[in-house]
Amino acid sequence: MSKWLRENLWRHAFATFMCIFSLFPLYLVVLSSFKSSGSLQLDSFVPKELSWDNYKMLFSSPKIPFLSWVKNSLIISSVVAISSVVVGAASAFAFSRLKFKGKKFGIQLLLLVQMFPAVLALSAVYVIMERVYSFAPSIGLGSQAGLILVYLGGSMGVNIWLLKGFVDSIPAELDEAAKIDGASPVQTYWLIFIPLATPVLAVVCLLSFIGTFNEFIVARLFLVEMQGRTVAVGLQQFIGGQYASNWGAFAAGSILASIPIVIIFLSLQKYIVNGLTAGSVKG
Amino acid sequence: MSSIFRGKFATAIKIAILAITTAILSLLAQSAFASGESAIGAFLVFAIVALNFTYFTKFSIPLKFFVPGILFFIAFVIAPIVFTVIMSVFNYQTGNYISKPASIEQVLILGVESDANQTTFDLVAGKDSNGDYAVLVSDIANQRFFISTQDKITDVDASKLIINEYGVATTAPGFTAISDNELAANDAYSKIRYKYQDGYYVKIEGQGVGAVFRQKIAYDAKTDTMKNIITGETYINNGKGNFALEGSPETVLTPGWRAPIWFENYTKLVTDTRFRTPLIKVFIWTVVFSALTVLSTFSFGLLLALALNRKMRGRRIYRSILILPYAMPSIMSILIWGGMFDSEFGAINNILHTHIAWFSSATFARAAVLLVNLWLGFPYFYLICSGSLQAIPSELLEAAAIDGANPRQIFRRITLPLLLQILSPLLIASFAYNFNNFNLIYLLTGGGPRNSLDGEVAGATDILISYTYQIAFGRGMNDFGLASAISVIIFLLVASISFYGLKKSKVMETFG
Repeated sequence: MSKWLRENLWRHAFATFMCIFSLFPLYLVVLSSFKSSGSLQLDSFVPKELSWDNYKMLFSSPKIPFLSWVKNSLIISSVVAISSVVVGAASAFAFSRLKFKGKKFGIQLLLLVQMFPAVLALSAVYVIMERVYSFAPSIGLGSQAGLILVYLGGSMGVNIWLLKGFVDSIPAELDEAAKIDGASPVQTYWLIFIPLATPVLAVVCLLSFIGTFNEFIVARLFLVEMQGRTVAVGLQQFIGGQYASNWGAFAAGSILASIPIVIIFLSLQKYIVNGLTAGSVKG
Repeated sequence: MSSIFRGKFATAIKIAILAITTAILSLLAQSAFASGESAIGAFLVFAIVALNFTYFTKFSIPLKFFVPGILFFIAFVIAPIVFTVIMSVFNYQTGNYISKPASIEQVLILGVESDANQTTFDLVAGKDSNGDYAVLVSDIANQRFFISTQDKITDVDASKLIINEYGVATTAPGFTAISDNELAANDAYSKIRYKYQDGYYVKIEGQGVGAVFRQKIAYDAKTDTMKNIITGETYINNGKGNFALEGSPETVLTPGWRAPIWFENYTKLVTDTRFRTPLIKVFIWTVVFSALTVLSTFSFGLLLALALNRKMRGRRIYRSILILPYAMPSIMSILIWGGMFDSEFGAINNILHTHIAWFSSATFARAAVLLVNLWLGFPYFYLICSGSLQAIPSELLEAAAIDGANPRQIFRRITLPLLLQILSPLLIASFAYNFNNFNLIYLLTGGGPRNSLDGEVAGATDILISYTYQIAFGRGMNDFGLASAISVIIFLLVASISFYGLKKSKVMETFG
């Protein structure tokens, strides 16, 4: 056996095996989305038919308001992503750059609370929003506006924490120079900090978008009406609900819904990995 | 440029935004107070004061940056957490969901009985000559007709009435009937108790029909008891949100109200075997599940990182394929795997040529959960490990090689210990994350298999958080109090795990 084989064979063998493992479910979904039988069965590895029925169904069947699900998901996720970054960036800036009483306590509280998984407080959120519904139905339980408020508020802890990490990594010399030149903190924020932080804010914004897009359980509890659902809730209901497991349409729908997310994710890969390890793999 | 942020224009915008926000919040606060939600109302007033105070005074500049974030944080993060803790000391479940005044009202509404013959009458709803809500009742059996309001009953002679072919009076002098649609639109008519005889009253039960009832239960505010006026039985406030029959604590009037029971939800979890046994079972599986997940995803990730940790052909392709499971929206992936494990039509049984009912057997379901989580999780550790491997100084490895260590020794003595040291906070974070990996369990197995015929709430793959969800929102009994108590316990557990992790990563020391 040559040296090359001895050193590289296992590497290729293992990597190939893991690639197959990774790809298998994805390949199966693509295959199923083009099958008219509507099951997630594997008849053969080679596609036997190329039917667009499932895709057509998503856009034409009145029972499946796929387009409004996508629209809802896009609107909810965008509003949450943008607002949470706008609100969160200001707080993160203050936490990172300004001096004030109670800062240490604030950061510790933030750190503690962002560990509290939102699902744990779900019954409380439910009861609170049920009460909000009793006097303001348009922002209470069952409304998209209410859902946005819950997401926005719930993301505060994590987002401020994440943004603070990014802000800390921006050199402080520039805004210190601005301070010496007589700029007020508000001017420093708008004229120095925001232009510097724009790429970072965009990344956090996209991450927040993905996170909201992926959220399931609160959306499931909140959005009861068929038309008002998000893609995640809609597609789940579709295979667990009254449609008796329509896997073909589910496969087509989840492919369409996943493509943008996968693209965003892959283009942000570098930041995501850095963000995930920030603070632990220093130097 | 800086003029945008100073001067009249900026001030005008600031005032406009604040005015609109204040107006909206005031409106909301007003309606919150009006419908009795004083806690929410008080928070809204606090928000209005905080916003205006911060932006119209020079009290604190940092506050100007915080206030919106803090308000959201308090409303949707702190408040639910505090509320969870409060709910955990309440009897807050199906049957004990409403406030005490509402419960008393309901008990009194339900505390009626029909007369011995369960008499029903044909009637017409409308208004009498005084404009009061009234019914024109036709007691066909006794050929008696009368107009009844809340406090008086007036017999009408049949000769003055228009009676239809069924013998039912439709109009009477001075009586204005309303249409069925009007009746359906105004529930005031059907709420009124129209006077009848011997303490009984007539109540509208549907279009054109009424029935005879009398009040059976009465509330005594002084002693805080309910009395059955007819039998003389007394129901005492049992301190847990119900009125219970004197001498028979199991017989309670429904609905009850949410009442503070202090630590009973917690003690129940420790002392009552009906709750303790499933909780322990679920807790053990949660720990096993999280630990095995971290172990498997880390091992596979590390092995892959090692395999691809050198310049070789196809490395970029491998990398972009291996990252795909991580890039896919996890909800979709989990649901897809759920379909693949289907016993009849699933691809897994297809390939293995088996007929395993994966989600009906505890062992197979747990194996499936672990396999799917491996698929979802290994790319994360692959990415992290590849990054960290680069961070290990090559001098160390070279020095070891010069000292005659073989690759296996180098890995076991140098690479692995260093990696574990670098990555231990992430391993702990991953453990804490999977400890609460609700979506995976809920969407893949729903926590099952569980024997729901025996009233079992905890399934074989249920982890603490999905178990909590079942208790709070599952079918049948919904117990928010108990669910909140478990939530508080989970939080304490997760917080201590994470705190330990943070201490290790020394993040805490960089504060301030």
